[in-house]
Amino acid sequence: MKVPISWLSEFIELKESPEEVAEILTMGGVEVEAIENPYENLGNLIAVKILEIYEPEGLKDLALCKVTDGKEIYTVLTTGKTQVKPNLIVGLAKPESFTFSGEKVEVKAIKKFKSYGMFLSPYEAGLGEEKEKLLLLPEYSPLGESIYKILGISETVLDLAITPNRGDLLSILGVAREIHTLTSWKLNPPNFENAIKTGKKFPGKVEILDKDGCFRYAGRFFGNIKVKESPFYIQKRLWLCGLRPINNIVDITNYVLLEFGQPLHAFDWEKIEDKTIFIRRAYPGEKLFMLDGVERTFNEEDLVIADAKKPMVLAGIMGGEDSGVSENTKNIFLESAWFNQKRIRRSSQRHRITTESSYRFERNIDPEGVVLGLLRASELISKIAEPEIISEIVDIYPKHFIPPQISLFNQKLTKYLGFSIPSEEVENILKKLGQVRRSGYGFQFIPFSYRQDLKIPEDLVEEVARIYGYNKIPSSFPKSTLYCQSPSKILIFEKKLKDIFKSLGFSEVITYSFIDPKTLEKLNLEKNDPRLNFIELANPLSSNQSIMRTTLVPDLIETACFNFFREVNSLKIFEIGKIFLPTEDLLAKEPLHLGILLMGNANRETWYENLRKFDIYDLKGYLSSLFEILKVNVDFKPYSSETFLKSGVSFDLYLDGEKIGFAGEMKNLVLKDFDLKTCVFIAEINLQPLFEKMETLEREFIVKKPPKYPSTFRDVTCIIKKEIKIKEILDFVKTLSIPYLEAVDCIKIYEGSPIPEGEKSITIRFWYRAEDRTLKDKEVNEIQDSVAKKIFERFSAKPR
Amino acid sequence: MISEEIEKLKKEVWETFEKIQDLSHLENFRVKYLGKKGKITSLLKSLKDLSLEEKRRLGKELNELRDQLEEKLKIKEREILFKEEDKDLGLDLTLPGRAFPVGTLHPLSQIIDELCNIFSRLGFEIVTGPEIETEYYNFTALNIPDWHPARDMQATFYLKNGALLRTHTSPMQIRTMLERKPPLRIIAPGKVYRCDADVRHSPMFHQLEGLMVDKDVNFADLKGILTYFAKETFGEKTKVRFRPSYFPFTEPSLEMDIECVICKGKGCRVCGEAGWLEILGAGMVHPEVFNAVNYDTEIWQGFAFGLGIERIAMIKYGIDDIRMFFENHLLFLQSFK
Repeated sequence: MKVPISWLSEFIELKESPEEVAEILTMGGVEVEAIENPYENLGNLIAVKILEIYEPEGLKDLALCKVTDGKEIYTVLTTGKTQVKPNLIVGLAKPESFTFSGEKVEVKAIKKFKSYGMFLSPYEAGLGEEKEKLLLLPEYSPLGESIYKILGISETVLDLAITPNRGDLLSILGVAREIHTLTSWKLNPPNFENAIKTGKKFPGKVEILDKDGCFRYAGRFFGNIKVKESPFYIQKRLWLCGLRPINNIVDITNYVLLEFGQPLHAFDWEKIEDKTIFIRRAYPGEKLFMLDGVERTFNEEDLVIADAKKPMVLAGIMGGEDSGVSENTKNIFLESAWFNQKRIRRSSQRHRITTESSYRFERNIDPEGVVLGLLRASELISKIAEPEIISEIVDIYPKHFIPPQISLFNQKLTKYLGFSIPSEEVENILKKLGQVRRSGYGFQFIPFSYRQDLKIPEDLVEEVARIYGYNKIPSSFPKSTLYCQSPSKILIFEKKLKDIFKSLGFSEVITYSFIDPKTLEKLNLEKNDPRLNFIELANPLSSNQSIMRTTLVPDLIETACFNFFREVNSLKIFEIGKIFLPTEDLLAKEPLHLGILLMGNANRETWYENLRKFDIYDLKGYLSSLFEILKVNVDFKPYSSETFLKSGVSFDLYLDGEKIGFAGEMKNLVLKDFDLKTCVFIAEINLQPLFEKMETLEREFIVKKPPKYPSTFRDVTCIIKKEIKIKEILDFVKTLSIPYLEAVDCIKIYEGSPIPEGEKSITIRFWYRAEDRTLKDKEVNEIQDSVAKKIFERFSAKPR
Repeated sequence: MISEEIEKLKKEVWETFEKIQDLSHLENFRVKYLGKKGKITSLLKSLKDLSLEEKRRLGKELNELRDQLEEKLKIKEREILFKEEDKDLGLDLTLPGRAFPVGTLHPLSQIIDELCNIFSRLGFEIVTGPEIETEYYNFTALNIPDWHPARDMQATFYLKNGALLRTHTSPMQIRTMLERKPPLRIIAPGKVYRCDADVRHSPMFHQLEGLMVDKDVNFADLKGILTYFAKETFGEKTKVRFRPSYFPFTEPSLEMDIECVICKGKGCRVCGEAGWLEILGAGMVHPEVFNAVNYDTEIWQGFAFGLGIERIAMIKYGIDDIRMFFENHLLFLQSFK
């Protein structure tokens, strides 16, 4: 809501600067978003001197002027051929600036002549009505300077953000009243003593058929008016408030809307069939071609203003193209009404139209302002549009508005605020908002009709606190019951995971919960994959954020891409976030998932280390560390069935026979679809089963003690077939029940010359220890020999 | 005679001892005086022809000299060995050390953690809930019926089935109050969504909701709690102010500003020349909200507050583009180590 200080000053005596007024409003709960000077907002409107004048070839009606702003020389084409003279100082709107009529100035070319801007008339400069004259500036004007600075003209406009509860502040008068409430500066309310209250008999008929939709409907007939351009002061005020002038009648309705907050609508009387006006529900399917050029179809929930045959206006929102006031209009009917805010809101939402009018009706207007608005408009119309006939006012008001009576007890106020404000002060504050009567231990209060937001005692608590000053109320700590509950275990679990990954050198990422369905296509999932059963947004910002993610993979890969294209060649990231799966219900299943991604180099090339790329064993290692810390047994089952992973370099992860995730290398083809030309290793785990497992796990905490006797190790090195997996050998070792065996591990694998093709050399290390003595070499050797023999036999191994 | 020799020897021994520089000197010295044919050994041997008393006296003297010398040599040897180890030419210690990659939590996670810690100290319990919500929890129960223009304050993402992405963490007030009996004191951090995207707005962002309900918690207490939060988050000297505002689910409502951390209240680009930065919205729980969860407003009153995590992070770290949080560039993330 834009509030010009000059207009505001008509209703209140401002005793402080606009900046101070802005501060008072802000601290009173009316946020001032900006203090503007609309003249400055127009852009570069500057003084230039005319140097030379030519008649452009083939353009007889125009003059081509060479002008200077003191620095550069431009050419400007003008129609004011007779007015331009060398050495005149005139106003120029430079390209990219705006003029009063809202036109954006651009470099124009007519034939071969270019015009770098436009000479201003007083009108286009927003200074007066003359449109044909050139704006002449004083001789001494500094060239290049803003014309407004030279003329000493400025306007200050406060741009207010009005909260939805305060519809009463959507007018100049309303803001003046609010400033009065906050400061007690003198208010000059509008005077209606000389208003035109009576007139000729109303020549038509008005009937409210939908009493739920329309609470009050008033109007007036004006005959033989002159529809023309508004006087400049009206146009200027509309412009200051961000509205465009149209014609005097429409401008007056807008003027009153801005001034009093009362929306008005003017009908062309001749277009009203049978001179009958019905306020009724629309018939289902009823159509209206509206002022914005769109034809809309109504339903029974819509409220329309109709004549005997057809709807003319979607009530409180927008008029029809046909019934509006045009240049040819002679007689008008001016409407001023109070519509049901809920009905207006629903219609405006359904048809996606917001107008100055609907915006105010939705936020509720002052029921007692309906006729006042009409009176104010009558005054302006009679002055400006020269009507020959003015009718009486029709005012249909079936059920008078009765403001609520609210009780505010001192005790309630004190208990709510934790602070006691003296009764006299409370009373003085309430008096500014309505009628107050002291009663017993508090007040009986009836708000003014424009304060439709005041309904319950708590509303009054806020008003009293706000006007008294929030910052004058002291701060304290609550006196309350101490109670303790165990913190949420899943949150602790999540935090633990994050700390583990941080300590493993990972960076945490947070990505959007909505993704592009195309990214799922790129994963090449099977048709029945549950991840393709996703939840769609009804109104996404764009198609690449149009479905709720069912896997973390696309987000992680896109994060990798973003980094890859910005010179990151080593990435080690994780994310813990929800995925979203549809259910039978409205709500979704939102399991927490963990995603891990490794991309590019595992290290940096340094003086002590060669460059190494991440491989699957990095990923497996990190996951193993995670599971070790969590003390859960997760099986790495080669090879994963995920379509987007290289089968040979991937695992499915199983917990108690249930698949909880996967880990592996992304297929090159998939990465290519994401435009990524590097290796990516990825893992995703559903944390829900992991968390549940940890909750149910009977934790056997084994504290290891330092050994008393030394251990000893023996290695077996042999050549076996390449396809034999290490796990097979280790599993086989387990079956042998080897005495004193403490640990066994593969410590070396070698393929290549001189090992024959299709075979590999491996070294397995066996650790032995007895708890009660130092083992003798001899007995270990005996055990080891027998083990080695069995391994050689079982795997047809050859000695190295 | 011999005693003169001994005196001479003593003098010679200690003079020579002082000159020992390295291990070879030391070894020569040992051989020269203490070796089998060394001077002290020889002198000792030559004592055998003397009288018993002289033998004892001089023998004792020589033995003492020898013992002393051996003791001192041990110390000397250790000294020399210690110095030996410093003799190597130093390494090029200007080379970087073997680095261990340091991980980092997302700045938003860090802020959420920090805020959770602050409110945990005040006895608030952390709860979480669904991100896909119904109109009822997100709006209606919070005193925002479908016709209410306050719905415009939060541009909502709807789902095709009629559910929506929660536009704030306030539904957690309703969910918690329906589940539990008062008194209660909770905070609810989490993701929220609004159809808005520019340098200041992200379609997904994070909020933290707070709710306290008890018999005697009031507006002054709300100010106290929020002031404590601001000082813990932005520093002891942080100035705060409270402005009246409007939220359908609180009455009275307020917004809290802190003095601009950049210009210290003078007015700058960051605070839009205001000198103050808006930090959060709060208020006393609206009776309609208590009615929706069947809390008796005659007994219970409380306050609620909600704040944007990104906003706090942006102010704290001087970040001017909210999108950076979700682009996750490694350099950006690693600056929060």
